[in-house]
Amino acid sequence: MIAVTPPRSSRRATEAGLLALAGLIIGAAFALVSLGRNQTLPANLVPFSVGVFALFLGAHVGVRKLAPRADPLILPVVVVLNGLGYVFIARLNDKLAAQQAGWTALGVVGFIATLFVIKRVRMLDRVRYTVGLAGVILLILPLLPGIGARINGARIWVRLGVVSFQPGEFAKIALAVFFAAYLVERRELLGTATFKVGPFMTPDPKHLMPVLVAWGFSLVVMMFQRDLGSALLFFVLFLTVLWIATERASYLVVGTTLFGAGAYLSWTLFSHVQDRVSMWLDPWQDSQDKGYQIIQATYAFAWGGIWGTGLGVGLGRRVPIAESDFIFAIIGEELGLVGATAILVLFLVLVGSGLRVAMRSRDPFAKLLAAGLTTLVGVQSFIIMAGVTRLLPLTGLTLPFVSYGGSSLISNWVLAALLVRLSDEVAEREEPSPHDDHTTVIAVTA
Amino acid sequence: MNGQLRKLAVALMACYLALFVKLNFLQVIDAKELNEEPGNGRSIARDFNRPRGDIESADGELVAHSVETDGRFKYQRQYPTDDLFAHTVGSYSLLFGSDGVERRYNEELSGNTADFRLRGFLDPLVEEPNVGTVRLTLRADVQRVAREALGTRPGSVVALDPRSGGVLAMWSYPSYNPNFTSLNDATSARTFKEAYDKAKDKPLLAKAFRERYFPGSTFKVVTAAAGLESGAVTETTPVFPAVNGYQPPLTNRPIRNFDGATCGGTLFDLLRVSCNAGFAEMGAELVGPEGMIGQAEKFGFNERPPLDLGGVAASVFPTEFGKRLSNGDDPDDAPVFEDTPRLAQSSIGQGDVSATPLQMAMVAAAVGNGGSIMTPHVMSEIRDRNGEVVEPYQPSVWKAPLSEANADILRRGMIEVATSGTARAMGIAGVEVGGKTGTAQLGTDPPRSHAWVIGFAGPPGEQAQVAVAVLVQGQPGASEQTGGKVAAPIAKRVLEAALAPSR
Repeated sequence: MIAVTPPRSSRRATEAGLLALAGLIIGAAFALVSLGRNQTLPANLVPFSVGVFALFLGAHVGVRKLAPRADPLILPVVVVLNGLGYVFIARLNDKLAAQQAGWTALGVVGFIATLFVIKRVRMLDRVRYTVGLAGVILLILPLLPGIGARINGARIWVRLGVVSFQPGEFAKIALAVFFAAYLVERRELLGTATFKVGPFMTPDPKHLMPVLVAWGFSLVVMMFQRDLGSALLFFVLFLTVLWIATERASYLVVGTTLFGAGAYLSWTLFSHVQDRVSMWLDPWQDSQDKGYQIIQATYAFAWGGIWGTGLGVGLGRRVPIAESDFIFAIIGEELGLVGATAILVLFLVLVGSGLRVAMRSRDPFAKLLAAGLTTLVGVQSFIIMAGVTRLLPLTGLTLPFVSYGGSSLISNWVLAALLVRLSDEVAEREEPSPHDDHTTVIAVTA
Repeated sequence: MNGQLRKLAVALMACYLALFVKLNFLQVIDAKELNEEPGNGRSIARDFNRPRGDIESADGELVAHSVETDGRFKYQRQYPTDDLFAHTVGSYSLLFGSDGVERRYNEELSGNTADFRLRGFLDPLVEEPNVGTVRLTLRADVQRVAREALGTRPGSVVALDPRSGGVLAMWSYPSYNPNFTSLNDATSARTFKEAYDKAKDKPLLAKAFRERYFPGSTFKVVTAAAGLESGAVTETTPVFPAVNGYQPPLTNRPIRNFDGATCGGTLFDLLRVSCNAGFAEMGAELVGPEGMIGQAEKFGFNERPPLDLGGVAASVFPTEFGKRLSNGDDPDDAPVFEDTPRLAQSSIGQGDVSATPLQMAMVAAAVGNGGSIMTPHVMSEIRDRNGEVVEPYQPSVWKAPLSEANADILRRGMIEVATSGTARAMGIAGVEVGGKTGTAQLGTDPPRSHAWVIGFAGPPGEQAQVAVAVLVQGQPGASEQTGGKVAAPIAKRVLEAALAPSR
């Protein structure tokens, strides 16, 4: 595949153009929600538009300065998702919307700061164990007495004074970095089958130990935290990166079998896992209690039909806690099949951008990191959308960039910054910069 | 590693494609079904935030309307007539969905038909939402008489206008108060619903058209019609021998007359005393399986009557009486079948025959209306906010079970029953009344039975204006007199009320 990279100025112009379009979509949606609900334009339409404009202009300028050759699609897609998410949260709950606006600002700051701090992804490779340890600590935090807190059944929160956050959202990035760095180091060993288990040749288990430990550890922590969605996500991340690094499909087979056994075991052990499965198979058996939320989400999608009820005129509040995990159902209701599909396409564009970066990276660490981060976004979105539409059993996760939640939003902006950084590095290598020309000249004269 | 990345890309694409397919199922293919699920209050919630059209009785009484509330939704449904029309109008509940007219004419009541939308669009200056008002064919005055006459005995009363098929009254006891089940407050509504669910005799069930009962001797009208239509029976022939029982072929268990009485004679004689032996023989041997099945189905048995309400039960007549075994004793007789004894039972409304009160009212209506049954309905017209009729009901014939000549014979036969037979208690001075009683035995220890009467009434020499069916469930006693004693007086009062001009 020959990748033709347009010049950087044109890429940034594309980004600016797409961002303008994104701003227009968000502004229009914001106005329409208000028209739909109260038949009036929102009073704060102008300050809102200015705020949106300023925020995303800041992100754009940040990319221009710090990662000028970056993929022009990532930022606009993230902006549209974040903006539409905000509009839907505002439509459901004013107070949460104000908070989400703050989180968005912090997310953009985190985005720029990440680009500023991480000038080279190699930097992350060097601190792999520190990052890995940080990831582990972040995962344990909610279980510590005193600061850990259980909200809506899952013990995934940390409360420090007035601030509470979900460290797991940040842990997932740390673990993606750690997995990539660790597996790059060991890929040769892991890819060589030297150990015989029955009829199968597998790599020596001792090379796998640290990864298995990390994986088992995160799974156990997740079980204790009752956070099935994250457990599933971590597992898929781990397996995917391992498979890509070693190019051995046998890991997929073994891993999936392991996971199947683990899933079955937790199904027999934990009543909340049984509930999730039975409510997936038939939520109507307990339509007023356990199945209520998923049934209401199903009804919301059906009510939306092809074209949706229109922004602000759905009956979103019938779905409990719709602004968080179930926001996709409200989008499906008010924007219909068309709008829900648009969200799917936006995530696919993001996934496509991420995988393109991974394919074009020559550095194995960058490749694995890009693949890992893309898997995180793509799979997390899929798991929660599949749960809400009852394609799979429901496991609580946020819809990246769209759902309400500071930790989720900020960590995903950081994740997007890393993808932007990776894409910039790829383009840098492909596009001979003036500096590179100079080097060549010197080499020739020497 | 790029090979794996490509596979990963394909896998994620497949995942999202599966999501897209699932969305299509949710939002397009199954959407209508999901929207109409009774537990899905969405269409209701939408309509609870805007006023909904009124429902009124044929004599102009307000039966259902929307009132403003300060709860979660702007409006709540109220039923000023309480339990009176509950089984017909249904209730419109946030929690339990809707039923009856509220469900059947939901689109009109909420202004959702293309017609109403267009009309609303054409005069945009009118603030009032364009929702339809449904006027029923049921009359509040007749309905009240039915309620009062039946009292606290479980049962049903159905009165129809045989000329149009319009239902004039349709009452079942016990009934329920839709004001309770339609409360927006979920806790109260649920409490009431649970209490009704547990209550004796199923007050929530519209028994008049959703429950089947053994019709007993009222079914003899169908058997008589079969005899006439088959040509085997006329007004004067045959003359059935006076016997106290009839023993069908292939069995030694005779079908006895009530109280061991002896009866026989012409068709009218049989009708007048509700002679079991004669009608059993008529159905089993003169008409035969094919003729009986055909005639019952011509009256609408084994088919859901097209009443404009949901959940209408089909009445049942057996469709199979086994293999043909031999010819009858006489050349005119129907051949003998394996189940001819069962056919004899069915011919007097026992065995495997069951009918809704609505169906039996339509049997009487056919006799009173020159042989045809009009499509039964409860909606008479729908008006828009300006009072303009947008959807008048167009009467149509549903079934034509009898020729005009045979209908007239049967009509005179039933008039005799009401003047000098078992249905004497429903006779009204100065009015031509026809009737047929029925007593469907439920058990002998203690003897209990359903008391039935069906009939029609009109000015002398003119077409009948009302047809009626009355069922009083599980009455003590098992004599043929039960129907005439218990049900006929109720029918009489309802007929009188329906014949009186409405207010």
